[in-house]
Amino acid sequence: MARKSWMYSVLEAVQYEMRQRKDMVWLFELTPPVASNPGKPVINLEKEFGRTRVNNTGIDEMWMAGATLGAGLAGVTAVTYIPYQGNGMCFQMIQNHAGKLRHMTGGDAEMPIVFILEMTGQTPGFAGQHSDYEIDTYYAHIPGVKTVIPSTPRDAKGMMASAIRDRNPVVYLYPAGLRNLVEEVPDDQYETPLDKAALRSTGGDLTIVSSGAGMPEVLEATKRLQESGVGVEAIDLRSLKPMDTETLVKSVQKTKRLLTFDQSYYTLCPGAEVIARVAENVDGARYKRIAFPDAPPPASPEMFLWMRPNAEHIMGAAKQLLG
Amino acid sequence: MAYETKLSRESRGGEPTPSATRRTFLKAVAGAGAAVSLSSQFSWANGEIGYWAKDLSDDKLKEMYATMLRIRWHERTQADKMLTEPGYRGYNHFYAGQEAVATGVCAALRNKGAFEEVDLVYSTHRPSGHALAKGVDLKKMCAENDFRATGLNKGYAAEMHISDKSVGFMGADGMIGPGLVMAAGSAFGIRARGSKQVSVVFGGDGTYATPAFHGTLNNAALLDLPFVYVLENNLYHQYAHYSYSCPMKDIADAARTYRIPGVVVDGQDVLQVYNAAKEAVERARAGEGPTLIEAKTYRYYNHWGAPGAKPGELGAFGYDPLAISSFRPEREVRAWMARDPIDIFRKTLINWGTLDQAKADAAEAAVKKEVKEAFEWADKQPLCKPEDGLKNVFVTGSVRAAQFG
Repeated sequence: MARKSWMYSVLEAVQYEMRQRKDMVWLFELTPPVASNPGKPVINLEKEFGRTRVNNTGIDEMWMAGATLGAGLAGVTAVTYIPYQGNGMCFQMIQNHAGKLRHMTGGDAEMPIVFILEMTGQTPGFAGQHSDYEIDTYYAHIPGVKTVIPSTPRDAKGMMASAIRDRNPVVYLYPAGLRNLVEEVPDDQYETPLDKAALRSTGGDLTIVSSGAGMPEVLEATKRLQESGVGVEAIDLRSLKPMDTETLVKSVQKTKRLLTFDQSYYTLCPGAEVIARVAENVDGARYKRIAFPDAPPPASPEMFLWMRPNAEHIMGAAKQLLG
Repeated sequence: MAYETKLSRESRGGEPTPSATRRTFLKAVAGAGAAVSLSSQFSWANGEIGYWAKDLSDDKLKEMYATMLRIRWHERTQADKMLTEPGYRGYNHFYAGQEAVATGVCAALRNKGAFEEVDLVYSTHRPSGHALAKGVDLKKMCAENDFRATGLNKGYAAEMHISDKSVGFMGADGMIGPGLVMAAGSAFGIRARGSKQVSVVFGGDGTYATPAFHGTLNNAALLDLPFVYVLENNLYHQYAHYSYSCPMKDIADAARTYRIPGVVVDGQDVLQVYNAAKEAVERARAGEGPTLIEAKTYRYYNHWGAPGAKPGELGAFGYDPLAISSFRPEREVRAWMARDPIDIFRKTLINWGTLDQAKADAAEAAVKKEVKEAFEWADKQPLCKPEDGLKNVFVTGSVRAAQFG
């Protein structure tokens, strides 16, 4: 156990699996799989496993996703790390191929593959094509592909181990805004389930549901609400598909108040799905949904920071739900 | 991390890979093909290309010199601001070192007139040089890069995404690949309209590996589009040497696949670039199809921002914390800086009698003053109104603020 950064935790999981599976491959673009951490050995997958297994070519995300899929179909466990600007370029391979092949082949196709899709949209000034948090919605919509989104280094490691061992294609969303998080992460390999939400706090007055880069704001608001005497059940979805309906329903049956919080665009954001599932199963609850407006993120920090959902917005919406 | 190209990394690692073998094979084939049968497909600068700069007026040459200086001093001034003014929020992917490419190409284009008359330019995530060469207003660009409401794009775009339709500067494409296709698409539209415009895209060495590169050239060739692809090979895409993504030394070799001219020019010599661009643009305007121009060039700063740079000094050396694939050695940077495009052009103009030392110095002083005033103007511009972020999503109206629940 040691305090570890996000990427160190992820690469630790990958390194372990690559040592067990002598043919497992990793494809990257411009981000070599290298991580260091105070008091721990440097992890350099390229150096340790060689360029036959750990490889980059040019800027071509369709190749990266397609090659990962093809390697999986040939029986080789494969992981690719697609940087944020290109996380839509690979959509066809994941949506129209990886998502459909098992079904199309009557269950024959094997796809022990993971698509790590980096996403941003947290940085004032980046704007436009360099802000793309909304892909959580796009990928979660695909049948046949699991779409997960850890929000802590500890989950990032356990969910990476589970994703690699899963025989289904997994889209593993990486909100790059969380890259500076550090926490205690076990050294040994462990699995974190790909179908279970996590309760980050318990309480009887209000359920707040979010995921990925939304979680730090939710945790801050939860702390403030708890301090003012409001019992908050903060739920980290962790997996968008499959979605842990049971945990959501149980919580709102108790609190009767549900607030969803997303950095994704408002229309069809993960919170929309959360509210629909709860509304189908819980009578007499009240709902609110916070999300980024249906507008591309503008460059100006004045515009962007006003639009980007934050803990203050949660406090305001919670007050309305509780009032 | 040590400086290395893909091949040196593979050979040093002692691990022969299938791709390395294939690369060697492709190199041999490409070399043999060029020598044997393709001379008619290729125009080489200093060879088959005419010296069209012979016809440039003194005024035009002076304007080109001022453009190069404007690009250079805009960057140096901005780099200094980034390094010395903690409150300054702008940033840049600096273009310094590549000024001759943007200037030489845009000097061969129509940059003034109605939108259906000017030639169109699509740019990259390194856009400020292309923008200034096309005629974008310096003051408004400075304001945009500092997120001001009166900036070129009212604060919505900032550095990697600027555009200015009024001079045919269609915009910086912050991605690698899509801009090429859009530019060829504009050429398709222009051809249908019959408006005799030309669509030009700037792209880097990193574009070669993208599917867009091949689809763009194939379709532009099949349709004889009025299109010019200016590939600025500055050796590195982000932090990776281009040998990681391209099996050829000259990316222009790819043109032969599509049966279009592929031209290699010295990107440090604005007049060579102009000569090649002039031929390509005239060919395109005459309905004879596209050209791929590969300009060999180099950037003086690192991929992004000003790491390794010092206030008042040109270029960035030493450690870049972001340089994770290939570290650019200081000697390589300095060797390219010794063939500085502005120095080369200045010497030529003095040699021709277009300028003398005093006039060249005066031109530089005038540009420095203009740049200083542009940044001062930008500093005084108003910040954006937060709620304007909900506008300009569609032609009319605003979208709902969803962040309050």
